[in-house]
Amino acid sequence: MQKTIIRSVAALAAASVALPSFAQEISFWSWRQEDRAQYQAIIDAFQEQNPGITVNFEAFEAANYNTILSTALAGDSGPDVMMVRAHGAFETVAGGGYLMALNDENVPGLMDLPEPALAAQTLRADGQIYAVPFASQTMLVIYNKDIFDDLGLEEPQTWDDLLAVSEAIQGAGLYAFANGTAEAWQNETIVSALGSSIIGQDFYEDLMAGEADFTDERFVAALEALVEIKDYFPDGFVGLDYPSAQQIFASGMAGMFAGGSFEIANFRSQNPDLNLGVFPAPVANEGDQHLVGLFFDGGYAGNAQTEHPEAVATFLTYLASQEFGQVFANTLGNISPIPGVVFESALLQEISELNQNSIPYIMLVHFRYQEPSGSVLLQSEVQRMMAGESTPQAAAQAVTDGIATYYEPFQN
Amino acid sequence: MSTASAKAMAYDNKGILGTLGRDGLLQIILIANTILMLFPIVIMIFSGFKSNPEIFNNPFAIPDFTNLSNYISVWTQTNFIRYLFNSVFVTGVSILSILVLGTMAAYAIARYEFFGASFILLFFMAGLTLPLKLAIIPLFILFRDLGILNTHWALVAVYVAMGLPSTVFIMTGFIRTLPRELEDAARMDGASELRIMWSVLLPLCRPALIISAIHNLVPIWNDFFFPLVFIQRDALKTLPQGLTAFMGEYTTNWGVMFAGLTLAAAPITVIYIILSRQFINGMTSGALK
Amino acid sequence: MPRLRLTGRGLWITALIVPPLAVMVTFVAYPILSALAYAFYDWQGLQRGEFVGFKHFHTVLFTEPFASWTRNAFINNVIVFFSLMVIQNGFGFVLAYALWRELPGAAFHRVAVFLPVVLSTVIIGFLWKLFFHPIFGPVNQIFRGMGLDFLAQPWLGQSSTALGSLIFVNAWAWVGFPTLVFLAGMQRIPTELLDAARMETNSEWVLIRKIVWPLVAPSATVVFILLFIGSFNWFELPYIMVGLDGSPYGSTDVLGLYFYRTAFGNQSAGVQDFGRGSALAVLTFMFIAVVAAFWTIRLRKREIQI
Repeated sequence: MQKTIIRSVAALAAASVALPSFAQEISFWSWRQEDRAQYQAIIDAFQEQNPGITVNFEAFEAANYNTILSTALAGDSGPDVMMVRAHGAFETVAGGGYLMALNDENVPGLMDLPEPALAAQTLRADGQIYAVPFASQTMLVIYNKDIFDDLGLEEPQTWDDLLAVSEAIQGAGLYAFANGTAEAWQNETIVSALGSSIIGQDFYEDLMAGEADFTDERFVAALEALVEIKDYFPDGFVGLDYPSAQQIFASGMAGMFAGGSFEIANFRSQNPDLNLGVFPAPVANEGDQHLVGLFFDGGYAGNAQTEHPEAVATFLTYLASQEFGQVFANTLGNISPIPGVVFESALLQEISELNQNSIPYIMLVHFRYQEPSGSVLLQSEVQRMMAGESTPQAAAQAVTDGIATYYEPFQN
Repeated sequence: MSTASAKAMAYDNKGILGTLGRDGLLQIILIANTILMLFPIVIMIFSGFKSNPEIFNNPFAIPDFTNLSNYISVWTQTNFIRYLFNSVFVTGVSILSILVLGTMAAYAIARYEFFGASFILLFFMAGLTLPLKLAIIPLFILFRDLGILNTHWALVAVYVAMGLPSTVFIMTGFIRTLPRELEDAARMDGASELRIMWSVLLPLCRPALIISAIHNLVPIWNDFFFPLVFIQRDALKTLPQGLTAFMGEYTTNWGVMFAGLTLAAAPITVIYIILSRQFINGMTSGALK
Repeated sequence: MPRLRLTGRGLWITALIVPPLAVMVTFVAYPILSALAYAFYDWQGLQRGEFVGFKHFHTVLFTEPFASWTRNAFINNVIVFFSLMVIQNGFGFVLAYALWRELPGAAFHRVAVFLPVVLSTVIIGFLWKLFFHPIFGPVNQIFRGMGLDFLAQPWLGQSSTALGSLIFVNAWAWVGFPTLVFLAGMQRIPTELLDAARMETNSEWVLIRKIVWPLVAPSATVVFILLFIGSFNWFELPYIMVGLDGSPYGSTDVLGLYFYRTAFGNQSAGVQDFGRGSALAVLTFMFIAVVAAFWTIRLRKREIQI
């Protein structure tokens, strides 16, 4: 009797000693406050497969996320796993040496991801990958199919079609577009969503080759198009913030929304009955190529200083798996770059096809590495232009001049 | 006679009617202003009981006050209580430390003559005009090195540093007005300096301590900037900071947003209404000397 | 014996003065001096790089587009300060005078005017952001309801009205402060003095100019200087209402936002620069300190003359 007690006490003691080495708690930070529930479900599924690892999800305000993250990392209070942005904003975090270098060894399957996706999470200085890319985002026009059907409208192909469609929707007493420009970043969004086809592949290549700058007529033409279309934005659109613009579209008060594929989940959650369609930026002349704007959103990174490197690697491997990619695409409605992911939703499938003809979301992908960043310049110049206080030419000139302060190809 | 005073005479010649008119005008100004002050707050409270369509269609209608669904959402779906508790803790610890340290410094400066006393007072006074916000980068690095980043102690340290100058200022001025006889009598009786401070001086200082406490309460309770930079963990956020997270999450549900604003404003508003005289004296005390 | 007592006394004073002084040195003096030093270095994130002398100062003051951003933010701060000086303090004086007459209901009005002062800027900012919403906001609904449709503007979205709207909200929230400081100053005026003055003149205007204002002036000095410091530290209200970018296109940008954006980066810039941020902080700080000190001395002198 006594022996059993002693034995069981010993066993209990052993268990309680052994337990901590199994129970690995890792923290996971995100800027997607609105996706908390979906991430929790993903984490639950992961924990079920990997008993002993507990993942604590914490989400922060998107606007401050980078500050919060880089300060926490510098203060040694950073998370074990974290969402990091892509391209320029990624480098500010990765450049500090806070992130775990990733490869096929610690994250099997990583190298199967498409090259541009991995490039977005690669530090230019050392060529290392520091995050598992999670989504590409597509800039395009989202429209309300029911409104289009009721009014007998079709997806516009050319810019003139778009103006006609807008006129028809406005004539029916609705807002043609729900967009507002009060928040600076929305101004960069509309340039890509509405202007990509006018900007065109050729301009992009010339820009990259250092043979064109933003005063090029192809880029200015895209800005001119925005000035034309702003008459179909809501009254007071210059004071309309992003959430309200989304709300106007989701509630069926507007026919179209120029934005990103990331809007869709929000629209669906606000109004599950919404019948959505998408089309790429209209072309200037019939026969031109239709293009969408494309960028990689961010990735999942591990902390180089984590106390549980194995658990972190296990979790990151899960986040690079097809199983995760599938759930991610299904529940969060995002375009996962993971190979083999099938899009349940016809809309996502359509977007992934549109992605075949794309140019990058230029400022975010190429001009966010130095100050003054192309994004900051473009956002405020377009905002000014949309308010009628500047011209497309002047805006393009100001953007070029700002970037020219550090970008050599613009300096002559 | 100058034209100005001639005009003034003409105005005043209206006599009783003129005077009545002036007071009437002042009364109208006061009433209009009070409406302007309270109307937005009333609308905020009303809207917390409404749904989106009710707010958009009848923004000024009196709501059904039994509809608590927005408040229940705020209460159950957010960390509101946690934020409230954090704010109480940070504010309480900060004010207590400010009062203890401030009284110590003020007592030394006001009661003892020692080398450098006036310089030290000047040093504290300089703190009144130094905007500590602009030293956020070094503070940030200092706290990282001290290992208190992302803890409440970082906030307490900044708030104490911010609150000390005005408290030393208020307390030194007050202690100087107190008669020294009581202390001298206690000293004759052989009481220690610590005992004199504790049992003779401190009870006399109560009114000034209350003024100092309130003077610091409002800025500390309401501060948003320092938590924004120093605190990242949701569980440690203070009320104003938690409110921004909350407003970011419920951007389209106006009723819930107004309910959140109302709840966030409630604690200090209630205390203010109960103790309005002390609040007004406390908050304006730095400017009255 | 006396020497021993002296040492004891010295120890006692040291024990009293050192802890509070240590707090001030560690958390005020040291950080502010460090900010000065930081401005002379290059920074990679939170790691200090090499000494670069006055480079960052030169950048924020003379290199485009940074120089025009700095200038724009500074000018907006100046506009904020002067507007609030007139609206907030001016109206505060009128309200104080009205309250001083002790008309019926004065006690209630006093509590009401001070109520927004105790509320957090975060609450006030969000509240008015919702109120100013171009489509659903009650402000425009009131104007439309009164048939004043031309006044239903996107207040926070136009460069012509955005800063003005922020100034209005600031004045709404803070007018109670100067009001009650002025009122307290007025209430301290000895009745004999007022009675004597009323014998001389029965013009209330002369009374205000010759008696009330000079006697309220000392507290006004402090109110003015606090407003000055506050205006050049403006951050929370624009941050909440128009965002970190000083939207639209910098028309509400102020030094506080610009400094924060530079030092900590924002969503669409992504580049964080402690060196340039520190240079901005140091310049702002020196400007505030010099003006505030100069002004305090001058106004105090004038008061003595009066």
